[in-house]
Amino acid sequence: MQRANLYHDKRAQWAAYVVFFAALAAIPLMMDDPFTMNQYARYGVFGILALSVSLLWGYGGILSLGQGIAFGMAAYGMGATMQMQYQDPVSDPMPSFMLTNELESLPVVWEPFWHAHYGILLAIGVPVLFFIIFGILMFQARLAGAFVAIMTLAMLGAWYSMAYDMQPYTAGFNGISPPNAFVAFGVEVDPYSNLIYWTSLGVLCFLTLSIKALLQTKFGTVIQAIRDDPERARFLGYNVAYYQTVLFALAGLIAAFAGVVWVMISQYVSPTELDIFFSISIVIWAAVGGRMSLFGAIFGAMFIKASESYMGDEFQATWFVILGVVFIVVVRFLPKGIAGLFEIAIGFIPYRVKGSSRSGVDTSSAGD
Amino acid sequence: MSVILELTDVSKAYDQFKVVDGFNFKVNQGELRCLLGPNGAGKTTTIDLITGRQKATSGKIMFDGREITGLREDKIARRGVGRKFQVPAVFKELTVRNNLRVAFSNNTDPFANMIRFSRKEGRERLRQVVELAGLQDRLDVLGGNLSHGETQWLEIGMVLTQNPKLLLMDEPTAGMTEQETQKTSEIFNRLKGEHTLIVVEHDMAFVREIADVITLMHLGKTLAEGPMEIVENDPKVKEVYLGSEGITSAA
Repeated sequence: MQRANLYHDKRAQWAAYVVFFAALAAIPLMMDDPFTMNQYARYGVFGILALSVSLLWGYGGILSLGQGIAFGMAAYGMGATMQMQYQDPVSDPMPSFMLTNELESLPVVWEPFWHAHYGILLAIGVPVLFFIIFGILMFQARLAGAFVAIMTLAMLGAWYSMAYDMQPYTAGFNGISPPNAFVAFGVEVDPYSNLIYWTSLGVLCFLTLSIKALLQTKFGTVIQAIRDDPERARFLGYNVAYYQTVLFALAGLIAAFAGVVWVMISQYVSPTELDIFFSISIVIWAAVGGRMSLFGAIFGAMFIKASESYMGDEFQATWFVILGVVFIVVVRFLPKGIAGLFEIAIGFIPYRVKGSSRSGVDTSSAGD
Repeated sequence: MSVILELTDVSKAYDQFKVVDGFNFKVNQGELRCLLGPNGAGKTTTIDLITGRQKATSGKIMFDGREITGLREDKIARRGVGRKFQVPAVFKELTVRNNLRVAFSNNTDPFANMIRFSRKEGRERLRQVVELAGLQDRLDVLGGNLSHGETQWLEIGMVLTQNPKLLLMDEPTAGMTEQETQKTSEIFNRLKGEHTLIVVEHDMAFVREIADVITLMHLGKTLAEGPMEIVENDPKVKEVYLGSEGITSAA
């Protein structure tokens, strides 16, 4: 175990976040390419997903392979919202795929989506509610480790099949592709614009800083304690299942935000959002970047997806082999991922711990 | 003196085998009680039953005037029962300071704790406990990097930070050097009176140092109870410990 260095300094960490997000926010000022902005906005969503895995797995010790559940549910909610913004209550009340599936009227579950604010509320609220119920079921029974991973994976598979099979309601394999961009407060959020990039980055920035702040609270310390030894925490009077459920729901909330933003960018939602490989990829991004660090996980997501789009074309299917090898190497040799390397490298910068009794240095929450 | 903990006819059975068999046990407020017995006597199981880690097959456990039989672990802990494990359990990836902060569990609601910045909390208690456990210089060290003795003290410190009415210590000196054991017995003697303690221990020198009253368990039942000298000379006790030399050699 290495000594505390600049990497563990709370003020340096906050400064790094500010610099990181400010630099990202300035990108559109330097280039004017709507297509690239769309692409970069997508990286923001991948960052949000990695953030949710870092919080849940890195800090809470709960490995969920089903973050795609919240992501996909929210994406369908947002898809429905944008679709209904296009529909007209009188002349054209039903999306065309429903007509081809011989529905006679708009299904009741689609009704609230006439109003964009209800639509978004549902897109985020329903996955969170589902994660609360699912979390209670798992954590009351004291499931942990691989069992949680398997349960979440199986649940994801179930939702994938449902989205696929309920064709009259979800457009099945084809998915929903709202014809127009999302309109919020009379402003059109064009998916090929600087605005979409800033929206995506803004949500990422807001969520990251909120979680960073949350980890400084006692709640943040307690979830890490539960990760280390749930039994010990229980005998100190903490209701472990309650904490884990809250944390699980919180990670679901973050993934749901990602789903909403994703459909604003892609103007398309299909069962691929609930694809098992996609959800596992999120875990790989977080692991490679460093799950014990919010920053590391976000960076991992962006780095891998960017490499994939620039190198994936050349390597084709070999890309997944490369990704797999990288994952194995990281898990075996770098448990803290790229962030762990960074932690060691930064140790070479001279750093003096101020009066140890009340310094801002705190190796326990390294890099959060 | 008032009774703080009372076990009435408590049994724990696995299939036909009774690990704890109609065990009756009373501890007074402020007392330091040692629970002794050969391997398999049911000492740790008794601790498990009191703290809710295992559920009693039959019988009744009263704590501080209320029944706690069958309650969940965290609820019993919040009623004021603290426990130190046989294999020391601390939060390995947290600093000593954060270990103690988590142990300061006056409010355990997750939402209340989301707006609570733990560093200001319980500073006075932290200072006292750190001094008592002698961890002043180790506050920024990760729990997993402590020596074995320090880990034991940290866990004792955590249970003290919790400020329970009753402390259950399962083999607190296991694996400690002689000096470390000496220091631990000093800690325990300071705790006596203010806290009620039940200590499961094998080290007879240590027991002699700290205990007022000893309860000796055998096959899930009380074999003898009383001050050291009396228990030691009880013929039944000598028989259990293979006759010859009595409990002193059993450690």
